[in-house]
Amino acid sequence: MKTQKLFENGSHSWLMFGRDNDKPEQIIDTNQYLVISKNNALLMDPGGIELFSAMLSAVIKQVPAEKITHIFASHQDPDIISSLGLWDQALPSSTLHSPWIWESFIRHFGMESITYAPIPDAGNVLKIDGVHLEFIPAHYLHSSGNFNVYDSEAKILMSGDIGAALEEVDAPLYVEDFDEHIDKMKMFHQRWMPSNSAKNDWVKRIRKLDIDMICPQHGRIFKGDDVQRFLDWFEALEVGLIEK
Amino acid sequence: MSDISHNYFVSVAEIAAKLDQATHIAQKLSLTASNARAVALRAGERAAGFRPLTDFIDRLAEITITSSKRINQLAAVLSQTLAEKVRADTAIAHFNAVYVRAKNSPYIHSLDDMYHSCSAKQQVLEKTYKRQIDQLNGELSMLSSELRNAVILATLSRVEASQAGTQYQEALINVADNVEGAAGQIKKHIKYSQQMVATLDEY
Repeated sequence: MKTQKLFENGSHSWLMFGRDNDKPEQIIDTNQYLVISKNNALLMDPGGIELFSAMLSAVIKQVPAEKITHIFASHQDPDIISSLGLWDQALPSSTLHSPWIWESFIRHFGMESITYAPIPDAGNVLKIDGVHLEFIPAHYLHSSGNFNVYDSEAKILMSGDIGAALEEVDAPLYVEDFDEHIDKMKMFHQRWMPSNSAKNDWVKRIRKLDIDMICPQHGRIFKGDDVQRFLDWFEALEVGLIEK
Repeated sequence: MSDISHNYFVSVAEIAAKLDQATHIAQKLSLTASNARAVALRAGERAAGFRPLTDFIDRLAEITITSSKRINQLAAVLSQTLAEKVRADTAIAHFNAVYVRAKNSPYIHSLDDMYHSCSAKQQVLEKTYKRQIDQLNGELSMLSSELRNAVILATLSRVEASQAGTQYQEALINVADNVEGAAGQIKKHIKYSQQMVATLDEY
């Protein structure tokens, strides 16, 4: 599994993990993110059971286990958080931040020790060592209870399935040619995202933020001008469609 | 979850299913005892020796039903322990993989406490699992030995039936056959369950 540093300043850093060559062929490749501050770390969308060993191995190279005090699950899907039963044994003192509507569902993955911190529909803020991480509502994109993570200092938006693309495990980390990239993400957004009004509402909300990078859970990262290109493209896209 | 552990779950479920079938057979046996009592009453003095046997048939049915329920409960608890054990075993296997993959990580030993705590939990579950298998085995053996009495009961029933006169003889012999047949079927289910328990012991 590859590890890529996305941002670093005096207070904290952002890492991305993904492009796991050892993952079983039939499971979708996922990107995981880690924010490391002075004494704490937030692990975002840690992934499925199949990925757990590779993920913990990659993370433990960066921080000691006890420093990972927070986990975030944008929604309830298996590729997001089905590894929870194992993290529960690895990080029993940590707190899981996830949409309130999924608590009783997510607990089915096995959670005895980790504390569940339900995120209200309107979102909230997690402060770790003075770093503000905002849980931004992204409901119905695609899950009915769904959040992104925004860091105004790093100007990074971890966007979950929004901006996701289905591609090869050795794909580059960043979008290089936006127009070419559309083909890889169009069907995903049209088929998985059910609501045009939720989508437009999200675009309106995100346009107000200062963003350098949009980091999805599958595929490539949008940076620089591609951030606005993505928002324009997504706003114009009709979703909730099955390709005939 | 591996195919092997999946098979263990199936084994536990099969034990519960077999004992459920045994309960149904025992319920029919209880009905047989009621019918036999009625026939013996009608036969009067000639079937006086048969009447106490119906109490024994009833008792056999009751023991089978009670024991089957207990075995079902034990199987349910065992299934839960097995699920926890598989989870703990899976976690340890994953952590072992992490120790290999990240052996040069400066923070690898930050996992040690968690690993020891998981190992301790795994050992407790292992002991619990073995103890529950022993309990299950004990209950199955007890029921099996109780069913040995069914052969004696059927033989005695046939002897008493032969004294009841031609009018009732056939009905009472039929009772003896039912007792023997039911006990045979229940024993078959128990034997199969014991084989399943033996496979669980291998895990």
